[in-house]
Amino acid sequence: MATKTKQRGTVLVIEDERPLLAIIQIKLEKKGMKVITSRSVERAFSIEIEKNAGKYISMSSVESALKHLEDLEKVGAIWLDHNLLGSDNGIDFVTKLKANGGHWKNIPIFVVSNTSDPALVKQYAKLKVPNYYVKAEHTLESIVGDIQKALGSKKETL
Amino acid sequence: MKNVNALGQPYSDRELKGLKDLEIAQATILQTLQENKRESKNILQKTAIDEAVLESIGDGLVVMDKLGVITYVNPALERMVGWTSDEIIGNSIVDTLILEKEKGEKVSYNEEILSKVLAGGIVVADLTNPFYHVRKDKSTFPISTTVSPILLEGEIIGAVMTFRDITKEKEIDKTKTEFVSLASHQLRTPLSTINWYTEMLLSGDVGVLTEDQVKYLKEIYRGSRRMVSLVNALLSVSRMDLGTFVLEPEPTDFAQLIQNVITEQQFHIGRKMLVVSSTFQESLPLINADPKLLSMVVQNVLSNAVKYTPDEGSIDLTLALTPNKEAIRLTIVDTGYGIPKKQQGQIFTKLFRADNVREKETEGTGLGLYIAKTIIDNSEGKLWFESEENKGTTFYLELKVVDSAHPPA
Repeated sequence: MATKTKQRGTVLVIEDERPLLAIIQIKLEKKGMKVITSRSVERAFSIEIEKNAGKYISMSSVESALKHLEDLEKVGAIWLDHNLLGSDNGIDFVTKLKANGGHWKNIPIFVVSNTSDPALVKQYAKLKVPNYYVKAEHTLESIVGDIQKALGSKKETL
Repeated sequence: MKNVNALGQPYSDRELKGLKDLEIAQATILQTLQENKRESKNILQKTAIDEAVLESIGDGLVVMDKLGVITYVNPALERMVGWTSDEIIGNSIVDTLILEKEKGEKVSYNEEILSKVLAGGIVVADLTNPFYHVRKDKSTFPISTTVSPILLEGEIIGAVMTFRDITKEKEIDKTKTEFVSLASHQLRTPLSTINWYTEMLLSGDVGVLTEDQVKYLKEIYRGSRRMVSLVNALLSVSRMDLGTFVLEPEPTDFAQLIQNVITEQQFHIGRKMLVVSSTFQESLPLINADPKLLSMVVQNVLSNAVKYTPDEGSIDLTLALTPNKEAIRLTIVDTGYGIPKKQQGQIFTKLFRADNVREKETEGTGLGLYIAKTIIDNSEGKLWFESEENKGTTFYLELKVVDSAHPPA
């Protein structure tokens, strides 16, 4: 990729709280990352890239969600809130994603949740998602910094 | 009656007097008998009242002799535990009315109740520390109990135990705690919004700010951070009260953990120009503790020392093995405001803050030491203190080493 140095990769952000979603997107973009956003698991699985949408990628409901996910090859990291719109939560998302296999299985996921419940942290750890942040406990800067690091190291290994 | 005796002779004066005395005596006896009858009727009436009182009491009641043999139970108790009085009178209370603690561990009557009561004490279990009664059918329910000795002419002849079913109170308590937990979680989202947007402004990512703007934003940020800690403290407390607080002990380097906490507090220590010294015994064994929760404990105790020691005061931390080498003791000595003698008994109580510090520091929730004590009590550790007002406070924290059977040489 020619744009490798400029473009730091794409982050899929799944967060239901609009003001938070907005600021996360702004922060990630300021750090040079592309952002795809979603407020529910269902939507995250039905995101379709509008090829000509440039920086902003819009969403639409598409049935064959998993197929489209395979298309989103650019996504290098996922910011995941635990409590989301709809009936599925972050655990459901990770479970479906891992079941889907393919390159999605190894995308680093950053769970950023309101809950500090150790049982939940453990549940994510069991699904091989060790990055768990309690929103109110971390600065945006520190979480985004960790995501940036993950994207960087991933590129090196590729 | 003819005034002649059995021999047909008239009564002599002496005989007449004797007869008179006899009549009086008879009358007295009759009167006494009547009085006795009245008396016993009174006693019967009193007994009937007492019985009715005991039968109508809503709380369960057990009377036992000084060996713990059940001599009476009231109907409320029969209903509560599923045994009839015929089935349990004469049995030992230890085998019949089985009590458990919160975690299902059996309450030892001999150690925890009988020996205390027979020594003249009163034993109370209440909402915050209830016993659970195991019914005849093995189901359990929480009870609040009071056990008091029965005294006869200064001697203890047995004990009375009351049982109150506190299932409802427990439920209400749980609902309240769940509400606190839920509300706290909901509070976190808007707090994150405030934090992150303030952070963005302060970082200059959206334009350069004036000095005053930075100052004001920093105050907003500080306030918001304080709210976050308060919410966290409330959540910890609600977890403890709900019993969902899970300890995950692992071999932990106590000295390293303390060092980290000191580093975290460095900003406040520097601001108040406090002298903090630490003396850690070398090559200490690891302790068995949940590192996150233990950090919280040390942080609570140390931050109190920092908060409640006047500028330029000193705080000394010492870490050493106890003489029997089974535990490591952390001692934190400060030259702070101290805890007033009359309030020392309440210092680990939820939401309690001593009068002298309330006047000096408005920040403080009264939750820190409650949390610390609860964690340590659940970690087989000990937390206690000595304090003198206006001289300072010493906190002691003792935790068991990982393998006390093989202490290092």
